[in-house]
Amino acid sequence: MAADAEWLKRIRAGDRRTIARAISAVENDAARAEVLREALAAHLGRAHVVGITGPAGAGKSTLVNALVGELLARGHKVAIVAVDPSSPFTGGAVLGDRIRMAEHQANERVFIRSLAARGHAGGVSRATAQVIDVLDAAGFDLILVETVGAGQSDVAIAKLARTRVVVYPPGLGDEVQALKAGVLEIADILVVNKADLPGAERTARDLLSMPARRGTEHKRLVLKTVSTTGDGVAKLADAIAAHKMQRVASA
Amino acid sequence: MSEFASTYPPKVIVTKIGFDGHDRGSRLVAAFLRDAGMEVIYTPPWQEVATVVKLAIEEDAEVIGISSLATDHLLVPRLMTALRDAGVNDVQVIVGGIVPALDEKLLLDAGVARVFHPGTSLEDIAAEIRALSARARAMRSSELQ
Amino acid sequence: MNKPDEAQLFDSDVQQAERRWQQAYDATASSAQRSINRSGIEIKPLYTPHDRAREDFFDDVGFPGAYPNTRGIYASMHRGRSWTQRQLIGWGVPEDYNKRLKEILAHGGTALSLIPCNSVYRGYDADEVPPELLGTCGVVVNSIEDMDIALADVPLDRISCALNDPSPFTLLALLLAVAKRRNIPWQKITGTSNQSDYLSHCVANHMFFRLALPGARRVLTDHIQFANESLPGWNPLSVVGQHTQQAGATPAEAMGFTVAAALQYAEDCIARGMDPDRFLPRFTFFFDISISFFEEIAKFRAGRRLWARLARERLGAKDARSWRFKFHGQTSGVDLTRQQPLNNIARVTAQAMAGIFGGLQSLHTDGYDEAVSVPTAEAARIAIATQNILREEAQLTDVIDPLGGSYYVETLTDRMQEEIEAVIARIDAAGGMFKAVEDGLVQRMIGESALAHQSKIESGEQTVVGVNAYQIDEDPQKYRSQPYPDPAAIDAQCARLKAFKQNRSKPDAANALDDLARSAQGTSNVMASIVTAAEAGATHGEICAVLRRELGFGQPLAIV
Repeated sequence: MAADAEWLKRIRAGDRRTIARAISAVENDAARAEVLREALAAHLGRAHVVGITGPAGAGKSTLVNALVGELLARGHKVAIVAVDPSSPFTGGAVLGDRIRMAEHQANERVFIRSLAARGHAGGVSRATAQVIDVLDAAGFDLILVETVGAGQSDVAIAKLARTRVVVYPPGLGDEVQALKAGVLEIADILVVNKADLPGAERTARDLLSMPARRGTEHKRLVLKTVSTTGDGVAKLADAIAAHKMQRVASA
Repeated sequence: MSEFASTYPPKVIVTKIGFDGHDRGSRLVAAFLRDAGMEVIYTPPWQEVATVVKLAIEEDAEVIGISSLATDHLLVPRLMTALRDAGVNDVQVIVGGIVPALDEKLLLDAGVARVFHPGTSLEDIAAEIRALSARARAMRSSELQ
Repeated sequence: MNKPDEAQLFDSDVQQAERRWQQAYDATASSAQRSINRSGIEIKPLYTPHDRAREDFFDDVGFPGAYPNTRGIYASMHRGRSWTQRQLIGWGVPEDYNKRLKEILAHGGTALSLIPCNSVYRGYDADEVPPELLGTCGVVVNSIEDMDIALADVPLDRISCALNDPSPFTLLALLLAVAKRRNIPWQKITGTSNQSDYLSHCVANHMFFRLALPGARRVLTDHIQFANESLPGWNPLSVVGQHTQQAGATPAEAMGFTVAAALQYAEDCIARGMDPDRFLPRFTFFFDISISFFEEIAKFRAGRRLWARLARERLGAKDARSWRFKFHGQTSGVDLTRQQPLNNIARVTAQAMAGIFGGLQSLHTDGYDEAVSVPTAEAARIAIATQNILREEAQLTDVIDPLGGSYYVETLTDRMQEEIEAVIARIDAAGGMFKAVEDGLVQRMIGESALAHQSKIESGEQTVVGVNAYQIDEDPQKYRSQPYPDPAAIDAQCARLKAFKQNRSKPDAANALDDLARSAQGTSNVMASIVTAAEAGATHGEICAVLRRELGFGQPLAIV
C-alpha cells in the first residue's frame, strides 16, 4: 500500500514514468488495477474527456494534431489516448497513431499513450476508462480518446467521453444514411474534414439533416475543417469547450 | 471475473533515429512482431533521440528496436545516455541493420543488448525481443516500483 | 514463308516437335517444380515460335531508334556509344569527393555523380546536426565554396554531372553558381537532377528532404520549367523506379509506379501550359536492376515500348525525341549480402549484364562491400572494372539488343508489359499517382510485396547464397569497411562553413532569402529564386529552411 501511496503522489505531481506505469498496471494487472482505482477515486473529475473517431480517409489524425496545437496554444495540458485494434488471430497490434502527432511529440504539456484494443469491446472500454482516470488524476485538463473506424469498441469507448466528436471526409452521400447506427447516433459534434474538397458542403448538410436520436433533444453540431491548413480548428476547440459547459450546466 | 489477460503482449518500439529514410526493414519487423502477438509502437524515420526517450517513457516500452542502414547507429550511444539520464534503466535496446563489426562492440559497450546484421531471420529477432521483454519485466518487478 | 500453307505446315511441324519435346521433358524433369518470377509471372521451361504466333513484328519488336523503341531508343545504342559509366560517389568533405572522383575518372568512369551527405538530404547544413553523422555516406556540400572544391579541375562544360539532388535542387543551384564563377555559360552544362522525383521519395526510401506534397509538386514543376528555359543540356527530371523496387515493389510494380509518376509529372507540366515536345525529351528515368536476370531485361524493354506509346498517344507528343525512354540503371544493393561479400561481385556482374541487355543509357555498379559500408577504393575499382570487362572482354556492346527476337525474352516482355499496365490502370483508377500516394495506396502495395518476398526468403523458397543456403563460418572482421571521416576534417569543414557565413555579404544573402520566401508565397518560378540565392551566398540549409517554412514539411505516411 505504501508503494501505491507513493505512486499516487507521483501521478498527481505529473511524473511521466509513474503515470505510464500506472497505465500499464490498469491495462495488464487486474489486482493492481483495482487497488489503483480506489486510490485514484478521490482525485477525478477535472478532465474534459473528448472522444474522437471517424472512418478511414477522414484525415482524423491530422485534425487531432491540429486540434492539439490549438489547445496547447490556449494553455491546456492535453493527454491523448490512441486506441488501435489488435489482431484477432495473434493478439498483436501495430500502434501507429501517435506518430501522426509528430509536431507535438516533444511538448512537455502533451502526454500520448497508445492502447491496443486487445479483444472485445467490454475489455477495452474498461481499460480505457481506467487509463482516463490515471490521466485525470495526473492533472491533464483535456483527454482526447482517439479510435479508428466505427466498430463496436469505438462505440463503447465513445460512451466514456463527455463530448463525442466524429470526423468524416467529404462526399459520403448515401453512405450517410447507412451510418445512423453506432457512433453517429451518440455524436455531439460532427466534423467534415478536408472541407476544401468538393462535396464537403453537401456532406455537412446531409449530416445536419439526419434525424436526432429518438427521445432526446440531442442537438447536433456540424462543423467544417481543413486540418492541413488549420481552417475551422479554432471553432472546433470552441465547440468542444462550449459542449463541456453545456453538459455541466445541464447536470 | 477478470477480463485482463494474465500474460500480456510484449511492448516494443520500432523506430529510426538519424537521417536515413530506408524503412523496408523496420516495416517488415513491425509487421512480423505484430503477427507474433506483440504490441508495436511504430514510428517513421528521423526521430530525435529525445523523442524516442519520451516515447519509451509514455508507452512504458520494454524493448526499443533501432533500425539503422546508413551509419545512423553512430547516434545510438547518445540514445543510451539520454535513457540513463531520464532514469530509464530497464528498457532493452537492440539495433538492426548495417553495423560494421568494430561498431558492434561500441554499441554493446554503450549498453545495447544485441546487434542484428542483414540476413538475420525475422523469427530470430522476434525470439530475442521476447526474451528481452521478459528481462525488462523481471527488472521492473524487482524494483520498489 | 510466302505461302500460307507453308506457314501452316511449319506450324504444325513445330507443334508436333513441341509435343515430342514435352514428353521427353516430363520424363526427365521434375515437372512439379513451378518457376514464378518476382512479378508473379510463371516461367515455362521452354519458349518456341509458337509463343510468338500472334506477334506483330513492327508493333512489338521493330528496330532500334524507331517507334516504339522496343529494341533501344537510338539506332546505334551501345555499339555506337557505350553506356555512360556513372558511378555514385560521395563521402567526407569536398576534398575527399574530388580525390575519389579523379580516381574513378582515371580508371574509366566517364561522368560524375555526386551523393551528398544524409544531412544535406534532410535539408540541413553541417552546423545543424550531430557531427558524428557528417560525411559518413555522402559528401558534405553546403555552399558555393564547397561545390567549387568538390569539382576542382573538373571541366564542367565537357563532363556530364548527375547531382543526387532532390527538391529543392540546391546542389544544382550551387553548381550553376560555380559555373558562373568559372565563366562557363549555363548552356554548356550537361547532366541530370538525379532522383528528383518527389513522389518516389514520399513512398519509399524517404531519404530526401521533402516538402509537403503540394509544395513539392510546385517546386518540381518550377524546376522543370526553369531548366527547359535556361539549361538546354540539363535533365531536370529523373523519375525513380529504384526506390520503390528497393522498398519491396516487384519489378513490374516498380516500372508501373514509375511510369504512372512520369505521367503525373507530364500532366502537371501540361497544366502549367508547357509543351510536351519541349519537356519530354528531358525526362529521364532511374531504375534498380535486381538479380532476376531475364525479368529485368524484359522490364526495361517493356517500359521503353510502353513509354513511347504513352508519350505519343496519351500525352500527345509528336517529336520522336519525346518518345525516348532514357534511363540510368543501378545494380540492386538489396540483393547483396553481408555474408561472403566477395560473392557480390558475381551478383553485380549478373545485374549489370541485365541492365546492359535491357538497353540502359548509363550504369552504376555497386561495390561488393555494399552491405557493409560505403565502398572502399578497392571495391569501387572492381565495380568499374566489371563494366570495362563486360564491354571490352565479353564484348557486350557488339550487338544491339542481342536478346531481341528470343522467344522467351519477347514473350516475357509482353507479359511484363501486361503487368505494368495493370499497375498503371490501378493508379489511374485511384485518380493518378499524386492522389494514390496521398491516399497511401502505393505504400500499401509496396508493403505487401515486401512481405511476400521476405516470406519466401524466410521459408527458403528463395535461396540467398550464404544467408539461407551455402552458409559458412566466417569472421566478419575480415572485411575492411570504409572508415569514417577523420573528425579533424569534419571540424575543419564546420569551421569552413562558419568562415563562409562570416565572409559573404550578409545583406546579399539575407535579401536573396527574403526574395525566395516571397517567391514561394507567390507564383513566380521558385527555382530561379533558389539559384539566385545560391549565387548570393545563401547556403543549402538556409534555402531549405525558408522553403520548409513557406511550403510546409512533409510527413511520410508510415503504413505497416
